[in-house]
Amino acid sequence: MITRGLAVTLAAAFVVLGVTAYWAQAQTTRPSMPPAAAASAPAPKAAPMDKAALQIDGSTTVGPIAVEFVEAFKKLHPDVTITCKQTGSGDGAAALIDGRCQIATMSRFMKPEEFKSAVEKGEMPVAHAIAMDGVCMIVHPSNPVKALTIAQVHDIYTGKIANWKELGGMDAPIVVVSRDTSSGTYETFTHFVMGKDKLFDKVEYVNANPQAHARVSTTAGAIGYVGLGFVDTKVKALPIDGVMPSRKTVQAGTYPMTRPLFLFTNGYPKLGSVEHAFCTFYLTEQGQKIIEAKGFVPVTSY
Amino acid sequence: MSQAIQSEGPAAEFTRPLLLTPGADRAGWLAAKAGRAALLLVAGASVVAVLLIFFFIAREAIPFFQERGLGEAASSTHWYPEDATAPQFGMLALIYGSVSVTVGALILAVPLGILAAVVLSDIVPFAVRQCVKPVIELLAAIPSVAFGVFAVKVLAPLMQERLGLPTGTNALNASFVLALMATPTIVSVAEDSIWAVGRELREASYACGATRAETLLKVVLPAAHNGVIAAIVLGMMRAIGETMLVWMASGNACQVPAPWWDLSQSVRTLTATVAGEMGETARGSLHYHSLFAVALVLLVFSLGLNLLTERLLSKARKSAGAHA
Amino acid sequence: MIEVNEMPQRKVLAAGTAAKTTDVKMANYVPQAAGPEQQLPAIIRADRFSLYYGSHAGVKDITFDIYPRAVTAIIGPSGCGKSTFLRSINRMNDLIPNTRAEGTLCVNDVNVYDRRINLANLRQQVGMVFQKPNPFPKTIYANVAYGPRLQGVHGRALDEQVEQCLRHAALWEEVKDYLDRSALGLSGGQQQRLCLARALATQPNVLLMDEPCSALDPIATAKIEELIISLKDEYTIVIVTHNMQQAARISDRTAFFCLGELIEYDQTKVIFTNPVRKQTEEYVTGRFG
Ligand SMILES: Nc1ncnc2c1ncn2[C@@H]1O[C@H](COP(=O)(O)OP(=O)(O)OP(=O)(O)O)[C@@H](O)[C@H]1O
Ligand SMILES: [Mg+2]
Repeated sequence: MITRGLAVTLAAAFVVLGVTAYWAQAQTTRPSMPPAAAASAPAPKAAPMDKAALQIDGSTTVGPIAVEFVEAFKKLHPDVTITCKQTGSGDGAAALIDGRCQIATMSRFMKPEEFKSAVEKGEMPVAHAIAMDGVCMIVHPSNPVKALTIAQVHDIYTGKIANWKELGGMDAPIVVVSRDTSSGTYETFTHFVMGKDKLFDKVEYVNANPQAHARVSTTAGAIGYVGLGFVDTKVKALPIDGVMPSRKTVQAGTYPMTRPLFLFTNGYPKLGSVEHAFCTFYLTEQGQKIIEAKGFVPVTSY
Repeated sequence: MSQAIQSEGPAAEFTRPLLLTPGADRAGWLAAKAGRAALLLVAGASVVAVLLIFFFIAREAIPFFQERGLGEAASSTHWYPEDATAPQFGMLALIYGSVSVTVGALILAVPLGILAAVVLSDIVPFAVRQCVKPVIELLAAIPSVAFGVFAVKVLAPLMQERLGLPTGTNALNASFVLALMATPTIVSVAEDSIWAVGRELREASYACGATRAETLLKVVLPAAHNGVIAAIVLGMMRAIGETMLVWMASGNACQVPAPWWDLSQSVRTLTATVAGEMGETARGSLHYHSLFAVALVLLVFSLGLNLLTERLLSKARKSAGAHA
Repeated sequence: MIEVNEMPQRKVLAAGTAAKTTDVKMANYVPQAAGPEQQLPAIIRADRFSLYYGSHAGVKDITFDIYPRAVTAIIGPSGCGKSTFLRSINRMNDLIPNTRAEGTLCVNDVNVYDRRINLANLRQQVGMVFQKPNPFPKTIYANVAYGPRLQGVHGRALDEQVEQCLRHAALWEEVKDYLDRSALGLSGGQQQRLCLARALATQPNVLLMDEPCSALDPIATAKIEELIISLKDEYTIVIVTHNMQQAARISDRTAFFCLGELIEYDQTKVIFTNPVRKQTEEYVTGRFG
């Protein structure tokens, strides 16, 4: 009993230490931030190009693009220090609003609540759409089903269609895979497919595109959805309403499940600032190459 | 005789004083007080830290309960927190998921772990034990993500092919991998306590004509039951608190399967829900607070389980007749 | 036993012989095989028996016959291998890693180090009381009932057997109202007597006792000695003791061990009154050193 008590005590002491350390750190880093949160006007934080520090936080979908951007960006501006976190769109928005980062990467547009709390703090989030992403329905390569309609996908995800043979495939139950409900991909998917209806309760959830890919590529009866960049030969992407997802159809907007990916800043960045350079990097040739390499579709093309 | 010694000269002197000087006495008293105060402070800080964590979670959870009450969470299986028009916050399926996966893991891990502990301590030669024990302890340090990858990439396809299940990421898979992960902990702690029972008791049993199996079952395990139960509790806590692994292995379907004992279907646990949804929710939204409510349920749950095992433990101790 | 005499090549160290044939005194030494149990064959026989802890010998080259229905005492200075020898008889040393036996050690003409030995049966019939009291962390009743339960005794028969054994061990009066209390709550001496009761309860043929009285007060010691003397009509008792008077009082034969070797083995009165070896004499008269 005594040793257990001691162990609990020690563990808790470590927790206390950790909390205080974190708190102390938070205390020391706060003042070094631009005092924009205190200012009532949405004054863009115009950091000079050299020796500036940039914090990026947000979506795990846009994150890989942002990381590559940072790599390339550092070569152009070696004095700039950039930290890039991938915590999730919601965390990114919260960090931007709290002033913990200057750029939030988001795979969805800001929600009204988030806008509201930003405005209450006197901030004005500005969106920069940097790339397009197509949400593709994928099945196992052995699946004989050739095409689906939005209505069919809808019925699969509400449980109305439970067996592939109803779609002219094999006699096997459909294993329905979805991304987690708070991912941008999920939101795009439900926006285009589900409308007001809910996913039924047998739907399985995975928390990243690679995992959705892994589940579908290893499960004969599975259907799932991933971003265009994650479609390869191990899974079969199905045309939706007769349109095959591809760079062309996504860019042209003919593929029905297409979404933009965003960077958010507080106010439009001042010309010549690091933020401005970073937020317009997607327009450069190098930026576009990165976006393509990551499997997304650039909004402009040379 | 003693007279003779006395007459020959004085006895050996006590060269060190037997009484403390008043100053030293006071200093000692002060040191004892100070030590006690310091220990109390540390102990108090730990209690405060635990309470703070509890308080923080409860504070963020309260807005949820204020708005939705307890009834829906405790009675409904529908968890649709992000629904734009009518969000639903039934936690029953999540609770079911946590319990089924944990119980499943324990059913697999406890017999296996205790058996392995017994084999290590009593069956294999001492040298083998000395080699194998550190390896097993090393296994306990494998990060859960590694187990998760194993669950998704190896076990799930295997289950689909071999068992013919439609989906390989399910409660069984999660239980199995959780058991794999918890077993080294159980083996290590249980083996320590079984080993600590000592040769004397084993000898006593053998000397009564007991076989090895009888000795182990009737003497060694009962004598080590404290440590064995502690091992089980540790394994259980590791299983119920595990997040990453179940998030990857359990499939996360938010349902109570049709026959409730059907472990071949996907389930979602409390931990996976919090971890999976916390990142992308808008802070301050009802969904955000509901996740803290889930965390609170989990906390209460593991606390309750802990108390329950503690109770069982003291009962077992009494029936084993250790200390009255 | 007749065969013994027919095997002259075997260096029998029966009662009445000194350890080493090279001993100068051996020439004038007349083996005394007196005693009422003389005609009974030896029940435990060690022949050039050695037991090694790793490379260190706990006992070496012991050749030694122990006779049934008698009390055999083993005396000797601390660390001389008394416990080691005793614990070899029921293979208790098996639990210590890296032990190795050489030579033969027979119980009832079966080599206990035979690979085919049935250890459970051996140990049931060769009971043991250990040097340190080692009761199970169970109730007093469960401790004594442990052996009989293994043999399938239940119910009233078990109750009676437990009571009888506790009475034999001079513990009954002290614990009869507390049978379901933990045995760990007993004093050291009570625990030792409990262990004796536990050993008696398995109904062994041979009882090995490793300093059973070292933690007991004179009254309990006297009771145990009485018990030992009363038991020897049926049992074979081998007792290790540091108490010379005790050995003299209760044993029929005494073996003197020193540094892992058997120095002398004879009728108890010979060992204590007229030992052959000088070492023995010095030890029993308290001038050992
Ligand atoms: N577990 C062990 N591992 C290694 N050596 C041991 C072990 N037990 C005993 N020995 C060694 O064997 C020798 C004999 O020990 P043993 O316990 O038989 O002595 P003893 O005659 O019973 O002494 P005592 O009267 O103190 O009980 C000693 O030298 C001791 O160091
Ligand atoms: Mg000894």
